[in-house]
Amino acid sequence: MAIPYEFQYFKPGTIAEVVALLATHGSKARVLAGGTDLVNELKMGYRVPDVLIDIKDLEQLSKIEICNGHLVVGALVTFRDLLESKLVKEHAYIVYEAAGLVASNGVRNRATMVGNICSAVACLDSGAPLLVHNAVLKLLSVNGERELPISKWFLDNRKTALAPNEMVTHISIPIPTMKYGSAYQKMMRYSGEDLSQANVGVLMFADGECRVAFGSVGPVPKRSPKIENHLLTQGLTAESINQAKEMIEQVIAPISDQRATKEYRMHMTKVMFERAIAAAAERLKQPRLITKH
Amino acid sequence: MQNYQHIGHSAVRVDGKEKVTGAALYTDDLDFGPNLLYAEVVEGPHAHAMILSIDTSEAEKVHDVVAVVTGKDFPYNFGLYMKDRYIFAQDRVRFFGEQIAAVVARTPHAALKAAKLVKVNYKPLPKVLCPVEAIAEGAELLHPNLKNYQHVPWFFPQPDTNIAHHRKIRKGNVEKGFDDADFVLEDTYNVPRYSHCAIEYHAAVAKYDLSGRLTVWASSQSPHTQRNLFANALAPLGIKHNDVRVIAPHVGGGFGSKAGVTMEILAAAIATKVPGNPVKVLWNREREFYNTYQRLGVVAKLKIGVKNDGRITTLKHDLFWDAGAYVEYGANVVNAVGLSAIGPYKVDNASIDSYCIYTNLPPGGPYRGFGYSEFLFGLESHMNRIAKHLNMDPVEIRRRNAIKEGDLTAYGAHMNPNGLHKAIDAVEQKIQWNQPLISNDPNIAIGKGFSLFWKAPAMPPNAASSCFLKFNEDASINLLVSGMDIGQGFLTVMAQIAAEELSVPTSKIRTENPDTDRNPYEWQTVASHVTWGCGNAVRKAAIDAREQIIELVSRTKFLPKETLFLENERVKCTTDPSFELLLKDFIINGIQAEDGTFKGGPILGRGVFMPEYTSTNADPETSQGGHPNVHYTVGAAAAIVEVDKQTGKVRIRKIVEAIDAGKALNPSLVEGQIVGGVLQGISTVLYEEMKFDHRGKMLNPNFTDYKIPTALDVPDEIIPIIIEVPQPDGPYGARGVGEHPMIPIAPLIANAIDNALGIRITSMPITAEKICLTYLDSQKKSSI
Amino acid sequence: MTKISFILNGERRSLDVEPYEVLLEVLRDRMGAKSPKCGCDSGDCGACTIHLNGRSVRSCLILAVEANGQEILTLEGISRHGLSPLQKAFHERNVFQCGYCAPGLILSATELINNNPHPNEHEIKEAIAGNLCRCTGYTPVVEAILHTTKKE
Repeated sequence: MAIPYEFQYFKPGTIAEVVALLATHGSKARVLAGGTDLVNELKMGYRVPDVLIDIKDLEQLSKIEICNGHLVVGALVTFRDLLESKLVKEHAYIVYEAAGLVASNGVRNRATMVGNICSAVACLDSGAPLLVHNAVLKLLSVNGERELPISKWFLDNRKTALAPNEMVTHISIPIPTMKYGSAYQKMMRYSGEDLSQANVGVLMFADGECRVAFGSVGPVPKRSPKIENHLLTQGLTAESINQAKEMIEQVIAPISDQRATKEYRMHMTKVMFERAIAAAAERLKQPRLITKH
Repeated sequence: MQNYQHIGHSAVRVDGKEKVTGAALYTDDLDFGPNLLYAEVVEGPHAHAMILSIDTSEAEKVHDVVAVVTGKDFPYNFGLYMKDRYIFAQDRVRFFGEQIAAVVARTPHAALKAAKLVKVNYKPLPKVLCPVEAIAEGAELLHPNLKNYQHVPWFFPQPDTNIAHHRKIRKGNVEKGFDDADFVLEDTYNVPRYSHCAIEYHAAVAKYDLSGRLTVWASSQSPHTQRNLFANALAPLGIKHNDVRVIAPHVGGGFGSKAGVTMEILAAAIATKVPGNPVKVLWNREREFYNTYQRLGVVAKLKIGVKNDGRITTLKHDLFWDAGAYVEYGANVVNAVGLSAIGPYKVDNASIDSYCIYTNLPPGGPYRGFGYSEFLFGLESHMNRIAKHLNMDPVEIRRRNAIKEGDLTAYGAHMNPNGLHKAIDAVEQKIQWNQPLISNDPNIAIGKGFSLFWKAPAMPPNAASSCFLKFNEDASINLLVSGMDIGQGFLTVMAQIAAEELSVPTSKIRTENPDTDRNPYEWQTVASHVTWGCGNAVRKAAIDAREQIIELVSRTKFLPKETLFLENERVKCTTDPSFELLLKDFIINGIQAEDGTFKGGPILGRGVFMPEYTSTNADPETSQGGHPNVHYTVGAAAAIVEVDKQTGKVRIRKIVEAIDAGKALNPSLVEGQIVGGVLQGISTVLYEEMKFDHRGKMLNPNFTDYKIPTALDVPDEIIPIIIEVPQPDGPYGARGVGEHPMIPIAPLIANAIDNALGIRITSMPITAEKICLTYLDSQKKSSI
Repeated sequence: MTKISFILNGERRSLDVEPYEVLLEVLRDRMGAKSPKCGCDSGDCGACTIHLNGRSVRSCLILAVEANGQEILTLEGISRHGLSPLQKAFHERNVFQCGYCAPGLILSATELINNNPHPNEHEIKEAIAGNLCRCTGYTPVVEAILHTTKKE
């Protein structure tokens, strides 16, 4: 299908030019990286910009590197890059695990994690993993750089805290300072490519801290301090996990839509929570992180 | 067993190389030069509404727009079996997304942009989205003009209702059958609509040249039927059959969706308004879902009586079909099921009422299986439930009732020779039916299922096939047929038949998808009939050519005809081993006689096949007396599944399916049909579901939310078994197998899930969610 | 209009495009490369798969302007050198039926083999899971790839 709309295309060579264009055009401009969401939206007539700013010439944004105890993922890093990165596997296994469940290979070769959180659809896969890791986003505008914790990023389905003149340059993931185990569980209608109908991320540490995030069961992914606190104080016994499972009903409020009913989403979230806890605990037990696929 | 050189061998596909190199061209791949125009359709946003006005003025102003056409330009109706359909909506729209108008422009960009500017005023009408509501007292009538529509003589529309056709079977004494029964089971089964999901969209390009010649290139299962329908519909413009030419390139999947005529007529009609310019109408994925044929939905009420030994005493099957806004093709699905809804069983007392009901949903039409998947979901579920009640093995109850050659069908004709019992035995053995299944994981339940199937081609009684065969100088052959290779391997098998009769290797036989100007008549590539029907025509053409060759050699070489035969591209003689004549030495230019003159000339074969024993003349109240179906293809299948009790997710460990192909002309292609068809069946039962909102708008017209399986969703193992009980009038005994592999899968999986978890689900699809919630519910109930 | 140029199947090609033109359409309608097909136009089906700088991508989700300066391979480019062992296996084993998904599937499988000459069954399924096929049931496809890549 042709795109029945017209817009201008820029491909700046420097990041300064990108933010200058954003300063000029604001909400009339959109930043293009992998384009797997954006081009679809252009076809559907959703948020068609006057100006498209392709950032793929900004090579500095295509790196995954360690910087000041953080794993820093640039805006041009694709899910494929994440899957192939030893650093990601070692320091943020859940990001690796979730990346492998995003769409399919041909999309992962192009789609970026920054693009995923900028689209911010309720069913995104990157939310829960980044939330449990307390990731921080680096945002840039002509006014300079600011950092925003991922917990303050998602405002609603498809709505983020990004200002019209800003772009996300990096996702910065604090590297766990002690042994950890993590797991991502995704509810799908079958084993092939599917959008998440619910997802659960768990990250637990050797000191007993256990972080839990839920995705696709509300407009934005979210952590549950209540459940985390319960697991920290009660420990990971069968009983405490069961109690935590029951607490999920107070934490999330899934809806029924064409993909699943709220009843099944609720049930599956509990099942996935239990399985994620078990998988993360198992990984924590392992002498060192052994990546298994 | 006859020793064939080509038949029964797994020849490599004649179109294989084209397809693996990217050389194969599909309709949208063809180039039409700088004059090509693009048409974009304007759709109605109501399931049922009167069209008050259409304002095209803004659209016409867009740069590069050439024309805007609406229903007023084409006040013609058309249809395959019943003329209830319009090129563009006339006074009203009857389903959400129906075509109202089209913008024709120099670029797709301009056409799409302008189509958004066409303004239409509607007056919404009450809509009917459910077949049961549609036949209730006082229901809104979709086709007030139903009584005036032309239709085939075997349809029985009920004027001033929404019932477009009612097929009735009355055989034996049904009430007495229930009285005689030791056990009666009655239930209702729901099967929703499904979409074919060929990966290639529908596409049609039409050119009405300045001399009045209309050529249509279309992704099609039915080039000749399309030509016939185009010519009939556009006859008021002075167009005759020989003015219309349909060219069919490769087809990227059909499954029924590209049979008959749907969107292709838009291209044909629009072209007449822009003479001299080819115009392309390319569908998109959304329209593939909501504006082509869909598989009909059905609510089936089934009541079966049995004796304690499992024998069926009687069967009553009432089927209420959600046939959609136009039923010109779909009504024949209803008819076919009405004739066959006893399933592959000997049933002496039967009552079937199959109702074709108009609803304000997209038109229902042909889909691989033609209604049989739908009714067998209930019937084969029922058989298992009855066996369970009688504490009988599900295989045994089927064996006791399975139809045999000579038994009477529901309409009183004799069942053809078939390998149903052989198939049951083969599947039972291969799946190791009697071996207990034990799960080592308390969260995983294991179950097994069994199901039979049958299906007859649903065709007019006089559906015909034909073939021209011509030799080239090197004794290579052009085989001209009009069946379509829609992936099943039809062309390869036709080449194998000609090769068998003429001793020319398949690599020297070129056979391609047709051009109706050049290739002889074929009704349509549907109903799993082309291997059988067109195969007979090809065989006749090859024999015709062979007889000409033998006759020529006989009279020029003075050898008795009965001593001559073909081998390895040569004519040989049984009584003179030294005699041989290369085909290439005379096949075009003839044989030189001693006087220097030449005898013979280019060898051309012709073959025609039409079944001459079929008839639809029967009593409409009972359907007794005719012979509407040529034959049934039968088979059996079994499955072993694992179900995750917590999530409802199903993993299929193994499916064994046996089908009686009569004679597998190319076993590798038959197995391809089985493996592919089984997965399509799995998909309909486990994953796929069309969802409509209260407005009748489809919610998931995309692969994002209408899930068809990926490579990660296949069973661990599918084992195809080919049974061969020859069909007496089939080429080398062959009968069709294209549709059948998917037919038993839905009840098969339902039965296996019941076996695993003890839950019976009577509505499709049987998604993980449905299994999970039903199972949780059953656990709650059993714990009370 | 923007002038762009890229390497298509080993040959440098240049043309003017509007920013709204999609790479799939430009390849098919203006470059004559017909093997990438459109089956959903939204990245779900994989029929439009091409290699962009050696990686399989959805050409329906890329604007033509984005391809400026890049290297593109379509099935035509692979087939110019005769049948690859993979194509040969697909051909000899009657793997494809309608063939519409074949170009995309072959490109996805080729990328896999380029990076992983001896993949296991799961890796094969994962690599082609984004290529929808309604005809084959996938099993023959997976078997042919396994056959081609098995260690001697």
